[in-house]
Amino acid sequence: MAELLRRSTALLPADRRPWAEAVRAEAAEVPAGSRRLTWLAGGLLLTMRQAIVGDGLWYPLAFAAAAGGVAWAAWSGSPHDPAIVIDRVDVIAMAVILAGLSWAARRISGPVAGSRLARLARAGGYAAILALVLVKSAVERVADAPPNNLVGPAVAWTGEAVFLAVMGGYAAVILACTARRSPVVPGTAAIGTALGLTAGILAYALGPLGFPLRFAGVWPAGLYDAAMALGAALAACAPAAAGWVAARRAAPGSRVRQGAMAGLCAGTAAALAVTVLSTATIALLPYDAGLRGWAASHIGHWTSAAGQVTPIEGPRVGYVAGNSAFAAGYLIVLLLSPLAGSALAAARAWGTGRILPRMHQSPATPEEPT
Amino acid sequence: MVSRRGFSRQAVSVLAVLSARPADWHHGYAIAKETGLKSGTLYPILIRLSDGGLIEARWEEEHPAGRPRRHLYQLTAKGAAAAAVALADLPRGSRVPPRVGLAILRQSRQVGP
Repeated sequence: MAELLRRSTALLPADRRPWAEAVRAEAAEVPAGSRRLTWLAGGLLLTMRQAIVGDGLWYPLAFAAAAGGVAWAAWSGSPHDPAIVIDRVDVIAMAVILAGLSWAARRISGPVAGSRLARLARAGGYAAILALVLVKSAVERVADAPPNNLVGPAVAWTGEAVFLAVMGGYAAVILACTARRSPVVPGTAAIGTALGLTAGILAYALGPLGFPLRFAGVWPAGLYDAAMALGAALAACAPAAAGWVAARRAAPGSRVRQGAMAGLCAGTAAALAVTVLSTATIALLPYDAGLRGWAASHIGHWTSAAGQVTPIEGPRVGYVAGNSAFAAGYLIVLLLSPLAGSALAAARAWGTGRILPRMHQSPATPEEPT
Repeated sequence: MVSRRGFSRQAVSVLAVLSARPADWHHGYAIAKETGLKSGTLYPILIRLSDGGLIEARWEEEHPAGRPRRHLYQLTAKGAAAAAVALADLPRGSRVPPRVGLAILRQSRQVGP
């Protein structure tokens, strides 16, 4: 048992190993027999729990379980169906990319930061990426299946390659912003992410299927138009607010950089939120008659789009909302949102920096980590 | 300013043992004997207390030949204050091991009116 405890110590993060060694060293004081065995067993239990719950095995195990679940859900179907082939390649490639980036990030920026927010943001970001892969595969099974697959395989595979590259970029941002040696001041990243999530959920609420909604009455239509205008303004304000907060919290020489990173967090969170939620809603269309009925009566561009395709019962709404040209719109959102967020926030931070005195705003303002 | 903390009864018993002789360094097995806790329960508590800055931990500098160095624990000033609050908050009639009860009694006499 002592030997088992000694060997299992290697599973622990470096800062936890002395504790396992302490238990083992103390065992010499415990009377031999069942009491010493119980003492060592407690040490083994401690090691296992620390290895799983600490920086050791918890995240890899959770990721493996989640990736396995996505693969299982996306795998079924004929290998001769081009949509299924794309799904399978997507799942495998995404799992490899996410695992590889985690390994690289650990060596560059260290493990995840110690705060609960950082752990939550990292787990949530990875969960959102895997969820997007899952719901996207569900949509593509309908949208890319004959006779809906109007684009050729070359365009489809190019789109997938771009999608994988963009998701790799998102994972890199999530890892960098939540790492122990992150260049982002922790509270700033949290505020940017929270503002971005709010903007993303708002964008989804205003257009759950990616199209503007259509309302029959004057008042509902007018209210919706006003909500759209307000939503657009708030969406632009989210990264700007993140930049303002970042500038106030940062040291004078790093305000613009911290602002840009806060905006990057906001744009990333917003794009992921709206894309995952909308794609999930689209994926439900073939299976939910009530949702299809609601969509048919409220999608602003429904009539003209429906006229271009051969009517197909059931999956038709799913196809129109999820066809490759439409999906490219979400890809553009994923590409541009972090960049636009970063630029807006940096501009706001620059403006704020010119107004603020050239000193720290409070004794508690955190220095930028080196 | 020490805020009230949600210490478990087991954590309070560990704090009581450490605060009974706050200037001393305590061994893990000694704490286990006084509190009645097993190693699988005691050491997670010690880890949490250490992470929270309430106790200090170090290896003993000298040790007899033939046995490994032992790990030692002592309350910090922050830990002593937290222990005083936690022990004062312990509900009357709480069932604690006798040695821990004596430690609580000593503690209350030190901080009493």
